[in-house]
Amino acid sequence: MRSHFIHPGAALLLAPLLAFLGLAYGIPFLGVVKWSFTLPELGLGQYGTLLTDPLVQSVFVRTFRICALVTLASVTAAYVIAYVWVRGTTGQRLAAEYCILVPFWISVLTRAFGWVALLSNQGLINTWLRAIGILDEPLMLVRNEFGVIVGMAHFLIPFAVFPIASAMRNLDERVLLAARGMGGGRARIFWSVFVPMTMPGIIGAALIVFVFALGFFVTPSILGGGRSVMVAELVYLRIFQSPDWGLGAAISITLVVIVGLLSTALYRYLRPAQMVG
Amino acid sequence: MNDAFQKDCLEILAQRVKRGEITRRRFAQLAGMLLAGAPLALRSTGAAAEAKQLVFVNWGGDAVTAYDKAYGQPFQKETGISVKQDGSGPTEGAIIAQFKSGAPSWDIVDADPFSAISLGKQGMMEPIDYHVVDKNKTRKGFGWDYAASTYFFSYVIAYDSEKYGKEAPKGMADFFDVKKFPGKRSLYKWGAAMWEAALLGDGVAPEKLYPLDLKRAHDKISAFKENVVAYWGGGSESQSLLLNGEASMAIIWSTRASLIEQDSGGRIKFIWDQGLMSPGAMAVIKGNPGGRDNAMKFIASAQDPQRQLVMFDMLGQGPANPATDALIPADKKRLNPVDPANFSKQIPLDMDWYAANYGPALDAYTKIISA
Repeated sequence: MRSHFIHPGAALLLAPLLAFLGLAYGIPFLGVVKWSFTLPELGLGQYGTLLTDPLVQSVFVRTFRICALVTLASVTAAYVIAYVWVRGTTGQRLAAEYCILVPFWISVLTRAFGWVALLSNQGLINTWLRAIGILDEPLMLVRNEFGVIVGMAHFLIPFAVFPIASAMRNLDERVLLAARGMGGGRARIFWSVFVPMTMPGIIGAALIVFVFALGFFVTPSILGGGRSVMVAELVYLRIFQSPDWGLGAAISITLVVIVGLLSTALYRYLRPAQMVG
Repeated sequence: MNDAFQKDCLEILAQRVKRGEITRRRFAQLAGMLLAGAPLALRSTGAAAEAKQLVFVNWGGDAVTAYDKAYGQPFQKETGISVKQDGSGPTEGAIIAQFKSGAPSWDIVDADPFSAISLGKQGMMEPIDYHVVDKNKTRKGFGWDYAASTYFFSYVIAYDSEKYGKEAPKGMADFFDVKKFPGKRSLYKWGAAMWEAALLGDGVAPEKLYPLDLKRAHDKISAFKENVVAYWGGGSESQSLLLNGEASMAIIWSTRASLIEQDSGGRIKFIWDQGLMSPGAMAVIKGNPGGRDNAMKFIASAQDPQRQLVMFDMLGQGPANPATDALIPADKKRLNPVDPANFSKQIPLDMDWYAANYGPALDAYTKIISA
């Protein structure tokens, strides 16, 4: 069992970081909390607006829907990549590592524009499909929610790979041998033994991706064609464009609380040490 | 809305510089201004000179260069007051943050007139001193209490002439008519001028636009949604939508429209008819560090026609001072949003209406386009 106490030396080394975070994030954040209760007047008015304003509600609903779909797409793709990475041949592992690492090195902006180039009406995919004769009219693949989901999932897949791969690595090979010894077929072993045993990794990955996705700003803004405003952009709107700091603050605080609850769930479910493997 | 526009000017300038489009004559003038400013810049390093400084906040990147050359350096040469360009972007929210901090570090902001009007009413902006700033050097109807007119741009219809052949759209009614002009459209993501466009398209007479009937405008936009391929958020996006043929018609900024026309070899054309003219302005934050008087002097100096001509040449901004119009060469007049021939075809946005209604109107618009 791991100790819950931090070594005094380590605590001393960590102290400046904590002090810095407290000063740079904690105190200003309290200011934002204050705005949400005091602007334009004292009270819970802005939280009331949050519950009744149709724009705020539709943006929250859209954000959750997009994040859920992104999570589903990312975790599914990450599961396949992680499987190849952990259990594939040397060549396959190398390929998987490239898939995981290369996107990490490209900025989120570049990737969003890359997807526009790929998915737009005159983009590669539509051009090819028309050249082969499958399509007459171009498919709307971008400047809508579909494009946003593709772009966000592409960004988030690597973050989902690590917890899943870690769960796969920690899996006791003997269990799989035993299952085979009991006469289980490959599909049966995969669905009844392998997947359930890597479930903590799947749940951890899903939480990480979901929490991360909630705050996305640039990708939906570029790939959404103006249609897919998410919470982060709504906060921007409220703070900078049509200044209403009280509501902007209340939306931010609500988002932070949701992220906080999900992170706590993540921490409970999967201790971070386990995730990095 | 405008913050996005101003950022766009920088992109345009960057492209121009890259293509070497700035004329030799203009280059000589700019270089002249630069050299003239240099000795003072060297002198103003002492502690005494430090107090004599103004901070002009624009939208970053190459606007820094343009504003410095057009306005900052000549002003320093005249007065000895240096003008520091800050490109961090004076959004309405950022100006509020400056004011509320109690010790603003900004003096003059390149702001939307309606933002300045609304913040001025809340006591955050200095009223413009029209004893120093000359109202005769602005166009009639474009002087506000808390913002001085500096330039103009317009939301105009750009269209794919290959697609429509000789038939050109004549106004907003044609823009919203997909039977007569089939194909996808693109509108602006942040609502400004789109309400006016929809109402004009719905048959409202230009002089009856204000106060805007938002319900009617939103119904029009809502019914038109299936024809919109994207709501562009920045100039380069509007440009690529038209150049790639994703949209065959779009309402875009006039500064971009002339660039697209050039880039497409004349395939994409634009019209001034029923263009929606939007003014840009300079405003001063209350309690500014460089002092109110110096800030007013700076704004007055930016009314000089030659200086505004630099901004037209570099960014395609229509000059605020009518005297500048005459300095624009004949072959460029067509591109000047406020040239009398173009101005008469357009409708200016009502800044007072925007000051009172922009926030809630943008909310409603956002809800409709993203529903």
